[in-house]
Amino acid sequence: MKVFKKLTVSALTAVIAVTASFAGIAAAADSLKGKITVNGSTALLPLTLQAAKEFQKLHPKVKIAASGKGSVTGPQAVKKGIADIGACDWDASIDVPGFKAFDGQVANKVAVIPFATIVNKNVGVDNLTTEQLQGIYSGKITNWKEVGGSDANIVVVTRAFGSGTRVNYQAKALAGGDIVKKEKNYKETGSSGDMKTAVATTPNAIGYIDLVYVSGSDIKAVKFNGVAATTDNVINGSYKIWAYGYYMTKGQPTGATKEFIDYVQSKKFQNGSLKKLKFIPIAAMKG
Amino acid sequence: MGAPVQNLASRAQKSSLAEGGISAKRHNRHLFSNTMFRYYFLFSILALCLVLGLVIVFIGKTALLLFNNISPLDFFFSFNWSPEEEAFGAAAFIVNTLSLTALTLLIAVPVSVGMAVLCAEIAPAWIKSFIRPVLDLLVGIPSIVYGYLGLTVLLPFLRRVSGEGLGDGLLAAALVLALMVLPTICRISDDAIVAVPRKYRDAAYALGSTRLQVIMRVVLPAASRGIISAVILGMTRAVGETMAVVMVIGNTPQLAKTLFTPSSVLTSNIVMQISNVEFDSTWNYALHMMAFLLLLISFVLILIIRILGRNRRDAA
Repeated sequence: MKVFKKLTVSALTAVIAVTASFAGIAAAADSLKGKITVNGSTALLPLTLQAAKEFQKLHPKVKIAASGKGSVTGPQAVKKGIADIGACDWDASIDVPGFKAFDGQVANKVAVIPFATIVNKNVGVDNLTTEQLQGIYSGKITNWKEVGGSDANIVVVTRAFGSGTRVNYQAKALAGGDIVKKEKNYKETGSSGDMKTAVATTPNAIGYIDLVYVSGSDIKAVKFNGVAATTDNVINGSYKIWAYGYYMTKGQPTGATKEFIDYVQSKKFQNGSLKKLKFIPIAAMKG
Repeated sequence: MGAPVQNLASRAQKSSLAEGGISAKRHNRHLFSNTMFRYYFLFSILALCLVLGLVIVFIGKTALLLFNNISPLDFFFSFNWSPEEEAFGAAAFIVNTLSLTALTLLIAVPVSVGMAVLCAEIAPAWIKSFIRPVLDLLVGIPSIVYGYLGLTVLLPFLRRVSGEGLGDGLLAAALVLALMVLPTICRISDDAIVAVPRKYRDAAYALGSTRLQVIMRVVLPAASRGIISAVILGMTRAVGETMAVVMVIGNTPQLAKTLFTPSSVLTSNIVMQISNVEFDSTWNYALHMMAFLLLLISFVLILIIRILGRNRRDAA
């Protein structure tokens, strides 16, 4: 018993000492403090986590808690007062198909996210037009030979309703066209990772995903209206399937939240870590 | 099993008696610690009940808000689930959930009970000592790993065999689930069979039974209650399993008319949609209602099998 007590006491002392010394270092740094909660899009989560890490090094008294679920949970959490920042793959302060505008919220652009149409490696098609994609996703075109491929049924993979990727893909690649549920050869996946696996392992499959996920030899990104899906083509304006990622806030951001958003939007972060994560800096876009 | 415990108990008694008279202080201390333990366990059970009750009440309360907006008739009997057009018919999910569970048990129960018989009655010791740890290990694998294997190994195989384009559907989900519940059912049945007293077997052999007769007519009926609780545990796991199912069932809200129709069950639909739904919307209430329904379904299934088990025991 005595040994145990001694151990406990010494462990506690050590913990207190360590905490105190850390607090001491923190106090010396600067005066900005506060707690920022970020919720929402999983696509933007890697960016948020990286930014939070760097920001906390600069301002050790600011605590940032970030989590990702789905785009629409971002503005919702802000509305409910659960989060200070709601990461969302679309501008939630205006109406988009399926989702009404969130009143009183301000959209702060933080990044550009390109999306790509992907197909299984066995599909011979290299290019698809807006009309062809509309036909495929609305169920009017069901065979690859109708769009210049071999004679095989098209397997359509899509994301669940309400996914930010789906909202943007529907708006940009399908020009607002429908995604119809078909009897056969139609499948929904829950996340970008599942989407990639499903298309990679299913022959004749077509799907869509963030450009940063396109890698490996089992899937390939097809051209959209003759333009290859590359970050360069997004920046020069010829590739149209991309969207801004937003930090939604209740009214104009203030205090630590404002500082954090400013940091994410700063040239240093945009051209540094953000580019490394394969997003595109917002400054690179002209519209 | 009983005999060694008795031996230990009587030995303990003997040794304490040998010390000659326990002091009153020590006696009181034991009484006190016993009482404290009783309160502790009572408190634990009450706390558990409270939490469980709160969960049920919360899910139920949110779920019932649904019927302010749409009629129960629509929810339970309509096959049209298009929440973006305000159509909330969950009948397809309910039917799919029940048929998936039934199909899973159809595949898993014969195999796993057979394996349990093999383990307990037939196999030589070295096979037993190999199979049992392996099965215990299988329980520990996270379900998403099973799902991923289903997606990357099972689906391509089913596609090749069936000639389907997608391969997703009830059969794929049932096969993955069967693999997942197999260790649970097998190990618990195994224990139940091992617990059947040796004298039953000896008596049956003495009457001239063959080994098959002993197993089918004596051992399995005697172990039936244990096997039934094994099936219950397996079934509740199958009904509630989500992550593995989501990856191989196709997630299309329609009735599974064939084994290869991409479809959706209650759990997979909830997990696919709940993170993308607004908090205070009919859609959200509908998903909560589906969760509540799952609770009721497992409750009813367990009840049915309990009653079946009781009847069979009475008859025996």
